[in-house]
Amino acid sequence: MANTMTVETTAGTRVFKTSKYNRREALAGYLFISPWIVGFLIFTLGAMIYSLVISFTYYQLATNTARPAGLANYEALFDDPKVMMSLGNTLFYAVLAVPLEIIFALFLAMLLNNVRRGAGVFRTLYYLPKMTPAVATASVFFLLLNGNQGAINKGLAAIGIQGPQWLLDPNWVKPSIVLMTLWGVSGTMVIFLAALKTVPRDLYEVAQIDGAGPVRRFFSITLPMISGAMFFNVIVLTIAALQTFDQAYLLFYRDTGTGAPDASLFYAIYLFQQAFRQFNFGFAAAMAWLLFLIIMIISLVQVKLGNRFVYYESER
Amino acid sequence: MKRTKQMLLAATAGAALFALTACGGGGGGGGGTAADFSKDYSGSLNVWGFENADEVGTSRVDVADKTVGGNDVKVKLEAAAFDAQKFTTRAASGNVPDVVQMDRQFVATYAAQGLVMPVDKCFALYDVEPREYWYPQVIDDVAYGGDIYAVPQFYQPPAILLNTRVMDEVGVTIDDMNTSDQAAFLDAVKKMTVMDGANPSRMGFDPQGVSKAGLWMLSFGGQTIDKDGKPALDNENNVKAIEFLKEIYDAQGGYANAKSFVDSFDVFGDNNSYVADQVGGAVFDQWYPNVLTSYADQVQLGATPVMTQDGKPFTVASGSSFVIPTAAKNPSAACAWLISLTSPEAWQAAGEARAETTANDPGRHGINTGLFTGSPESDQAIRDAYVKPSDYPGFDQVIDTYYTVAANGQSFGSSPAGQQIQTELQNAVTSALLGEKAPADALKDAQDAAMRAYNQVAG
Repeated sequence: MANTMTVETTAGTRVFKTSKYNRREALAGYLFISPWIVGFLIFTLGAMIYSLVISFTYYQLATNTARPAGLANYEALFDDPKVMMSLGNTLFYAVLAVPLEIIFALFLAMLLNNVRRGAGVFRTLYYLPKMTPAVATASVFFLLLNGNQGAINKGLAAIGIQGPQWLLDPNWVKPSIVLMTLWGVSGTMVIFLAALKTVPRDLYEVAQIDGAGPVRRFFSITLPMISGAMFFNVIVLTIAALQTFDQAYLLFYRDTGTGAPDASLFYAIYLFQQAFRQFNFGFAAAMAWLLFLIIMIISLVQVKLGNRFVYYESER
Repeated sequence: MKRTKQMLLAATAGAALFALTACGGGGGGGGGTAADFSKDYSGSLNVWGFENADEVGTSRVDVADKTVGGNDVKVKLEAAAFDAQKFTTRAASGNVPDVVQMDRQFVATYAAQGLVMPVDKCFALYDVEPREYWYPQVIDDVAYGGDIYAVPQFYQPPAILLNTRVMDEVGVTIDDMNTSDQAAFLDAVKKMTVMDGANPSRMGFDPQGVSKAGLWMLSFGGQTIDKDGKPALDNENNVKAIEFLKEIYDAQGGYANAKSFVDSFDVFGDNNSYVADQVGGAVFDQWYPNVLTSYADQVQLGATPVMTQDGKPFTVASGSSFVIPTAAKNPSAACAWLISLTSPEAWQAAGEARAETTANDPGRHGINTGLFTGSPESDQAIRDAYVKPSDYPGFDQVIDTYYTVAANGQSFGSSPAGQQIQTELQNAVTSALLGEKAPADALKDAQDAAMRAYNQVAG
């Protein structure tokens, strides 16, 4: 490592000798982040490269051998109707879930933002669903969503509405999973809440003096000021939605003795079945890479579009 | 600012990467060939299985532990249910237990992958003739490519468990509950059914149409797996079976409404469907009457077999088994332990333990429903020694029915794509019963998907 450091200044380029202290600081920094770097290299990047290799082979688990398959696993993706069906289900769910999660999380965050007394208690309470294990949540929702005896349909019946068969009617399967997802929206809510806290109060006061009502203040001040958090949440929730596994698996696939409607077959579940039920690792790896590409494309489009609407305060 | 955008992009890319880590693998694994089993073994033995073991399980484990303890083998039992992902990943690392308990229907799948070893030589070493000691249909479940890949245990034959209180209330007799006379059967179901709007408040009959789809199809002369292990889901008799199931459900508000009602049952509790008169009859395996012994004063039971379409009693083999992974470190000890665990002596100990529980637990009302071991010899020995007439003639008739029908069991067959065939079958029946697809179309789609899985596995 060179013992010099080059710095551009208004007076021109100056070269400083790097002190021992700085080198020690840098070394300490690398040491501190090394657990993550090692973990990333082995368990993420390493696994990715391995799965890429496997996707071009017929991998045999018992013998740890792999025959070259060329593009056969990728071609098979388009021959298997369940791949496209599960992808369709997943995309449909994402389109339904993400906007609702954003709206619901923002609504909750705004409520919490206006709470003065006992704010900590309310924040804790609203965050609790995030801390609840998914299995426990699924068990509760399994009862809540029962078409005959579930609390949701009983509540609907009380106001004269005949509730659907949430977990059985193919048209209501994905909305039922969305409902369960909304229960765990508090992580998103916390990000919105943090963003709302950074919006200067004087902007609202000035707008109010100018006669702006609550709706106008929301669309003209709140929304632009938290657009960065909104953008981040949309991207992260979209990625999470496209990788949805546990909600659907726990509601429909945890019991191997019962069937599941086609509408509940999500992409990640089919990928799991291919890998760990059918030992079709090459095909499953190809599925994973297809999902990666889809997520990347969607994310890049979102980033491209998002940059037009996101307000970065520090860019002013 | 640019940096903020970069961070967002980095977060996006980072999160997306996790999509790829869903699929990994490892090294190791075995060759799927039989070990050279020997009576000269030692060391330790790691076992996965016996989740929530009752006295029947623990007494047999005691016998088996004592057997291998003679060779100073220490047994470490991990009481957990079979977890396919855990087993698969452990198999990939080469770090597997010596014995794994799994459902018999999955054995051929793992055998085809070379993940478990044949046990014929293990049987031979201890002079066990499997097709004589176990019911042939039980052994058929774990046979693949001419070899036997698991040591079976239990044989839970399903039959129709009747609520005679409901039947008497509406004038339905046991003869009316004959599935070979479909019209009379449907009439009886309709008589016992009580509707509350579109939903049933009492089901005349719960056929467990999805989880017991294989039973219904085989009773109609259909099949799910052919003799070569290939899927046979689009068999025309399977279509007839689903059509019959759909008629049964449609007479009770349709599958969705009926299934929601069944899902709300307190199956193991004080307000179970027989205590609460929520069913007139339902298909249940033999273990359920044992659960109901605690409620003997509150239920009135009877039983009748599911019939073939030409009127013969019928049931199917189902139960669990033990496999020895190919990469097991101590297959000889595993073999000795398993032979002892499923021996007549072990089952005798289990019978004694169950009899003791029955005698000491007044909640069981002195009813011993017997044990269905998978071995006719052990079944009969336990029945002769411990299953006596009780103060509850309905229970006695139920017990007798299950014992009688056990001899009429048929294997589903075994296939390297067994898991997927089972999944596709259940999904197809679900689709057909929900009305998403016509039964023939649902089965054809399932057959195509199962055949794809079969071709992938069988090459």
